Amino acid sequence: MMKKMGKRLIAVWMLGVMLVSFTACSKTNDPEDEQDGKEVHVEQDKGKAEKKVIKLFHRFPDEPFNSFIEETVAQYEADNPDIDIVVTSAQNKPYKEKIKVVVGSNDCPDVFFSWSGEFSERFLREGLIMDLSEAYNKDTEWQNSLLASQVNEYRSGDVLYGIPFRLDAKMMFYNIDMFNDYNLEIPKTWDQFIEVCQTLKDKGITPIAYGNQNQWPSSHYIGSINQMVVNNETRLKDLDPTTGEFTDPNYVKALEYYQQLIPYFNDSVNGLPHDMARNNFAHSKAAMLFAELVEIPYLADENADLNYGMFGFPLIPGEGDPTLLTGSPEGFVISSKTKYPEESIAFLKYFTGPEVGKKEVQQVGWFNAGIGIVEGLVDQKLLEAYEVIKNADKMAGWFDASLYSTVANEYLTAISDLTNGDVTPEEAMKKIQKVAKEAQKTSQE
Amino acid sequence: MLKRKKIVPYYYILPGLLMILFFVYVPVISNFVYSFFRLSSYSSGKVFVGFDNYIKLFTSDTFFIMIKNNTLYAVISLIVQVGFGTIIALFIESKLTGRLRNVYRNIYFIPALISLTAVGLLFNFVYSPEVGLLNSALRAMGLQNLTQAWLGNSKTAIFSIIAMSQWQFTGYITLLMVVAIQNVPKDYIEAAAIDGAGPIRKAFSIMIPLVKEQLLVCSIITIIGAFKLFTEVYATTSGGPGNSSQVLGVYLYQNAFLHDKMGLAAATGVLIFVITVTISIIQIVVTKSGKV
Repeated sequence: MMKKMGKRLIAVWMLGVMLVSFTACSKTNDPEDEQDGKEVHVEQDKGKAEKKVIKLFHRFPDEPFNSFIEETVAQYEADNPDIDIVVTSAQNKPYKEKIKVVVGSNDCPDVFFSWSGEFSERFLREGLIMDLSEAYNKDTEWQNSLLASQVNEYRSGDVLYGIPFRLDAKMMFYNIDMFNDYNLEIPKTWDQFIEVCQTLKDKGITPIAYGNQNQWPSSHYIGSINQMVVNNETRLKDLDPTTGEFTDPNYVKALEYYQQLIPYFNDSVNGLPHDMARNNFAHSKAAMLFAELVEIPYLADENADLNYGMFGFPLIPGEGDPTLLTGSPEGFVISSKTKYPEESIAFLKYFTGPEVGKKEVQQVGWFNAGIGIVEGLVDQKLLEAYEVIKNADKMAGWFDASLYSTVANEYLTAISDLTNGDVTPEEAMKKIQKVAKEAQKTSQE
Repeated sequence: MLKRKKIVPYYYILPGLLMILFFVYVPVISNFVYSFFRLSSYSSGKVFVGFDNYIKLFTSDTFFIMIKNNTLYAVISLIVQVGFGTIIALFIESKLTGRLRNVYRNIYFIPALISLTAVGLLFNFVYSPEVGLLNSALRAMGLQNLTQAWLGNSKTAIFSIIAMSQWQFTGYITLLMVVAIQNVPKDYIEAAAIDGAGPIRKAFSIMIPLVKEQLLVCSIITIIGAFKLFTEVYATTSGGPGNSSQVLGVYLYQNAFLHDKMGLAAATGVLIFVITVTISIIQIVVTKSGKV
């Protein structure tokens, strides 16, 4: 009998051990415990009031951008001793995936990076990010410190849901020396553009450097072409997942325009990442590159002596709006679940404001929407770029970020196939129409 | 009293049983349940849609591409990893290698030790169209015509990924086969030698029949691995260009975390589960014993 009791006791004890180990597991899973830095703070601040912890999640882990953000945050913490900002970051592609997972969890970062347009708006539809309109509308000082045209990119109807952190637009970069060598003029229209490409090709020069391994670069070409050949209302209707159809024949036309460029790209477009194409342009292996203004610092890093200029995407006659500038600011939003809404807003205001903006452009060559941030700036390229954005009345956001996720995926896949010559423009649009139709159903639920 | 005694052992396996239940069977069953819903990671909405997700999966344009790619991966892996792996194992265990036996074993096994992601990144460089090792080697040999954008061409992408996996895992299968071959009693081989059997005859008449079970296990491991394929594709092409190198694992991941279609991802998971379980059952039936 005693023996049996003993065995039972052991069994119960083992069960107990197991349960304890379960709770121990769940404890170490708490991400706050994993923040080594934070624990140190807690140790130091014993006896003082608890610090308010704001979690910041961004997608700029590369240098010098990461250091710039760390410095800016450290400065803010020094100025606001009651605030502790915990920074985490991830690269572009993993960021897109991670943010979608954490945004629905209880560990959502308080302030986080988010693309304007559909990418953020679906969070808005689910009530996951904060409506900043009230705070912004009340604060005239805040309003006056930012470029309205850029802030507006973070609006959906009357709702303001984010503030820009870096302004961006797409321009055709060209090698001035090469253009001079062959007496080429900056092409304004599509036909002139093709002519320039042909001349360069005849001289044995790769006209356009292009790397589409990660598929997003193609969306900037198609986005820009669509804006010019597709009626603006139709285009905007199609960007809305609930009404998007992509049945307008001009979309096929846009892909045909894109096809015309394929002979002028370097070989193996789909096997080359964009940064490698950029390096080829920087080292004069190609005459042109369709690039973002935020890439200027990278070009300077790669080859500081490169003599290059930029021009807008050549005009294509069509039903669209040629005045639209392809690009949109990238910025930060605030989680609607944050424990410290006011503190988060205050931090966001500082982080995306003119004071940080001035340092941002000097240190890393990016501009935010702050007014007067280019004072004292000497870099002519950056000044030129800033003028382009400042003078744009209307922006057309990144095409892939403006689309519903499955439609964007299908579109990019189709262009990737088109680039390899595996499908025709008509076939490509048919596939996209099919997915758009599905998206109409699923996005409404 | 006797009957009660029999209960006691169950207390001992209870913790293990509960853990398996919680960490293995509950997720599998809930995945099965989720596959009948439309649900997303960040919205609260959870709609019962019946077989909708399955219909979507089976009618999607990529479905046949995925099945084709996974099957291609399985067939080529069987030929290269199990086929050549066994030949290499026989070679290593033959008299030809002599004292260098251990060195050979390690050389073949080393690729299997590198993390999948690292191998993916490594081969991104190998296959890079302009500066990549493979194209540079081809150019150096005067074979310019064969240079390719290996991962960027829809015709070569999946084969490039499969080739990378063969490089990595042939050594692993080799090692498994070496262990089995070492267990073949020496007397048989000596007896065959006395009868005048050469190395090839020895391999086919003695070694291979005696390591049949191990061969089968290796084949099953390889086939199941082929249908669970994920990292190799994700780290190189993410299924591109177009959808040419798409496989079930990457499709599942992209739907879950990129397009927020958890239900469709769960349905894909169920399909992978069904395929791999079927293969396992075949293994158990064929070997009759189920022993490994």
